[in-house]
Amino acid sequence: MKVKRNMAYKPQYGPGTSKVAENRRKQMNPKQKLEKMRDVTDEDIVLILGHRAPGAAYPTAHPPLAEQQEPDCPIRKIVTPTEGAKAGDRVRYIQFADSMFFAPSHPYQRTYTEAYRFRGIDPGTLSGRQIVECRERDLEKYSKDLVNTELLDPARTGIRGATVHGHSLRLAENGMMFDMLQRSVLGEDGIVRYVKNQIGEPLDRAVAIGKPLDEKWLKAHTTIFHSLGGTPYRDDKEYIEYVQRIHTLRTKYGFLPKE
Amino acid sequence: MTDAIYPQVRIVSARFLRPDTVEQLLNRLVQVGGIRRMSINGPSIPATVPYGPARGQPNPHPDRKVIRVGDQDVQLRVQVGTIILEIEDESYIPVIGEAVDEVFADKDFSCTVQQGRYMKTQPTLSDYAKYGPDADKQILGLVDPRRKDGPVIIQGTK
Repeated sequence: MKVKRNMAYKPQYGPGTSKVAENRRKQMNPKQKLEKMRDVTDEDIVLILGHRAPGAAYPTAHPPLAEQQEPDCPIRKIVTPTEGAKAGDRVRYIQFADSMFFAPSHPYQRTYTEAYRFRGIDPGTLSGRQIVECRERDLEKYSKDLVNTELLDPARTGIRGATVHGHSLRLAENGMMFDMLQRSVLGEDGIVRYVKNQIGEPLDRAVAIGKPLDEKWLKAHTTIFHSLGGTPYRDDKEYIEYVQRIHTLRTKYGFLPKE
Repeated sequence: MTDAIYPQVRIVSARFLRPDTVEQLLNRLVQVGGIRRMSINGPSIPATVPYGPARGQPNPHPDRKVIRVGDQDVQLRVQVGTIILEIEDESYIPVIGEAVDEVFADKDFSCTVQQGRYMKTQPTLSDYAKYGPDADKQILGLVDPRRKDGPVIIQGTK
């Protein structure tokens, strides 16, 4: 799809003068390249996702678009299908839980980031978890980005399809976020390995996703305001002003406010 | 249920504890003595996956362990974050504080000892409806009294 390059408005992505706000904008802005932190292979991603066996063909939900008659629809002419849609893949998901203790991303942030950066997705935002659904082929490509870049910390971000509880709890003694199913384990060598897939089924081999990032890095790259040890929300005056303005306007909306 | 005359203490650590730290802490508390009842709290670690697509499958978890406290084996079913104690009198509180400080001296996170009321003193209407009139009052309000395995009893020196 062609995007109009010279739009009248330059997207701002979000308000705020604090470091946290800046990190949020950085993640959302598709022109900013996300820092690559680790190298998890395609096969490892497929194992963690647990939707198909590595190397197996993609099961399909419908015949490839090229083989089926498309109705005469103006929208279909404008929008180029993604690779997964073209091939008729099933819709599958990846879900994340982010610890409140300075995880690099968090549910709302993830949804904004994905909506700006990826195509053909359906994100779902909840308080403690964020799920993104799309065609399987696309999902694997996007998941690789989500896992390999600075959006994920091996200790404080969990790839959890079910039983996500833990984002608001204290961390464990070794710094890992609580996980009832203990999908990822911190080894003696300091490397975090997934021993179960995202729904908690044991994997044939452990998938290493690297060392947890240190506290200093996390505090510099977090997108979470936190008054205990981090950047308190109330310190970012511009952010507060923006949120209050939106709140006021939507409260008064029924009375047709004029600015 | 508890008689309101006994003071209660809650030990809260800034991080969830590993089973070996719990073992060390509980053994130190047992040495202090004066403890009538103790409950260890934290998020549950079930033996099988409770829900989701993998429901019913075994859930091997490195922190679901049997620890040795005093002369008894205790099966941990939670990731321990809080320990609630009912003690005989207030003179034990500073000693418990010292014991906790001793165990956490070499850790890089803190642990606090608070005094207050943390156990139920009276069965509620819901307790009556759920567990009936004959529920074990010793453990009502701490754990589900319908559990078949009762409390672990650690013999004191009295």
